Amino acid sequence: MSADIEFRTIKIWNDRIDMRVQIKGQGDPLLYLHPAGGLGWDPFLNELARDHTVYAPEFPGTTPGNINAIHELDDIFDVVLAYEEAARKLGVTGGSVVGQSFGGMIAAELASSFPNLFSKVVLLDPAGLWLDDHPANMTIMACPPQAIGPILFHDLSCPGAQALFAQPDDPDVALDNTAHLIWTMGCTFKFLWPIPDRGLRKRLYRVSAPTLVVWGEQDALIPVAHGHEFARLIPNSRLELVANCGHIPQLEQPAITIPLVRDFLLTSIGSSPGTPL
Amino acid sequence: MKLTYVQQFTYRDLPDDFAQRYPESVVTNPYYELVDPQKVRASFRNGLDEMMYAARAGFDAVAVTEHGQANYDMSPNPDLTAAAFAYATETGGIEVGVHVIGRTLGKTREPLRVAEEYAVLDHISGGRLLAGFPVGLAYDANYNNGVVPVETRARYDENLALILKAWTSREIFAWNGKFSQYPGVNIWPRPLQAPHPPLSITTIGTPNTTTFALQRDLGFNLVAFHGDPMVIAKPVFDHFWETAADMGVDDNPYRATYAQFVAVADTDAEAEKLYAKHIEYSFANGIGHIGIHRLAMPGGIPPMGLKHLMATMPPPPDGPPKYRDLVESGAVVAGSAATVRDRLAMLAKTFRVGNLSLFVQLGSMPHELTKHNIDMCASQVLPHLRPIWSEYDDDNRWWPVRLGGKAPSPKQAGITAGSAK
Repeated sequence: MSADIEFRTIKIWNDRIDMRVQIKGQGDPLLYLHPAGGLGWDPFLNELARDHTVYAPEFPGTTPGNINAIHELDDIFDVVLAYEEAARKLGVTGGSVVGQSFGGMIAAELASSFPNLFSKVVLLDPAGLWLDDHPANMTIMACPPQAIGPILFHDLSCPGAQALFAQPDDPDVALDNTAHLIWTMGCTFKFLWPIPDRGLRKRLYRVSAPTLVVWGEQDALIPVAHGHEFARLIPNSRLELVANCGHIPQLEQPAITIPLVRDFLLTSIGSSPGTPL
Repeated sequence: MKLTYVQQFTYRDLPDDFAQRYPESVVTNPYYELVDPQKVRASFRNGLDEMMYAARAGFDAVAVTEHGQANYDMSPNPDLTAAAFAYATETGGIEVGVHVIGRTLGKTREPLRVAEEYAVLDHISGGRLLAGFPVGLAYDANYNNGVVPVETRARYDENLALILKAWTSREIFAWNGKFSQYPGVNIWPRPLQAPHPPLSITTIGTPNTTTFALQRDLGFNLVAFHGDPMVIAKPVFDHFWETAADMGVDDNPYRATYAQFVAVADTDAEAEKLYAKHIEYSFANGIGHIGIHRLAMPGGIPPMGLKHLMATMPPPPDGPPKYRDLVESGAVVAGSAATVRDRLAMLAKTFRVGNLSLFVQLGSMPHELTKHNIDMCASQVLPHLRPIWSEYDDDNRWWPVRLGGKAPSPKQAGITAGSAK
């Protein structure tokens, strides 16, 4: 975590939720929505912060010391409205949104529900669809800890994986982190379990912002077929596949993924004209 | 004391190398690969026969439990076997309690059906139902049944409130819950026992459950099989009684139940000879063959509780436990009648429990041997335990009136008059 991150807490949802937001960078606003495991400030976000002001909210319930906030949001409609409110209060409307996995699903829900909320959308291996022939690997919620790494990464020895799974030296801190990570998964999976399909498929046609879908070709959590499906369902979208890569392209293949995302954000590229609403 | 026989519908004929070949006894154990359908049928026929045998032998109640997608207890809805047992004992004139340890309320999506089924059971049994309400194990509630883990407890609380209101409300009412909504609740039948059957909750020992049970005057069942009861169960019961004292709640032992695996023979050596392999089967292929990721899922336990759990969790054993280790640790009480009754009497007095739930059919234990174990328990152990806590026999609010209990405290259901949310 870098020292120049601002932590800001905003009140949303009729003051029932104190949402903590990590902010860094300069330039046009960019909303970053973290994956199911929670918000970790990684090199990818630093890269985005070079030419954007990155606003990264912590999903309600996942902020240490404020775990009961999860009980304020009952369904995906609540989540979408709460995040739309957060986007307005943070002043990021009209900017870009980048979401990874669970965060990608929230980003896609927001862009579907409020087509004018964002000018560009980047989805990194997002959740939110279900394909019977290519099911997401839901065992990640109920598997021995050692089974998680191979589900997330194509190559567990890559630096991104090593950094993600590195444990602090202090065993008590490590225990705190693990307990908090498990709770975080419990909060985000409230909207993913048992099947990560809350009807997003029906709504994706409403996304009008130019959308970049990025997918690790060897994603063992959400198979790449989902990438093709997202690209098919979102009118003005482009799919980029990342070779030799699992579920988290920005960690496993940063040299490919970071330029891909930055180029998309900095220049307007739409592979098809799309059908704005 | 009240002594309850617990029946599980175990698949008793798994291959010898099951535990080596398959990672768990639940969820992923492949049915068609593993079973002979006739042996499943036999598990049910033998199990029901054993329930009847235990009832005739003199157990005070017979209990069944709920587990889905499990080979150690093929009992997705215990009300089914309880209904068969309730009818058979009613026609047979056997005065025995029918204890459903639980329809699991963190799991069920049809709480009114639970209310209705229990009410029907109470009528079929002529008022002998003991109604248990566990939360449900994570693998069953959250995995098998798809309930979001972080909502399990809230679903339990809402379902219990609805069931008790559905039983006791004289008025038809609308229910606007978070997990279920009904425009008019007016179930037929309501229970036979007034105001309702005695209630109990089953726990693995979390402090919230302890307080809840005492506040509501609910029976409190502890199920903890994974080691020495003096290490695992004693702190739970110590905490239970300390909390009761702090809350000004009486210390009537009948409010508490402890569950135990039991195997009785003529001598300690004979017990080992008769039962060792079946008990080892139970731990290797059944309840001992379930990973922690099946018993706790993310969201089910808040971070502080998780941290405590992880910090105190014993390291996983090298392999399935051996009979002698299980007996030595106290996880299983096995041996001669004298050995077993001394041990159980010590536990009952130490934990201050008025009820013992005894698991007597264990693992692969065949039908005839199970009957032998039942006979030994009923004839040589139970009579010695019954006098314990007899000074409280006239004030047992956790036992059906027909069987000598007193009507439950109004607190059990009375608190539920509030709103759904």
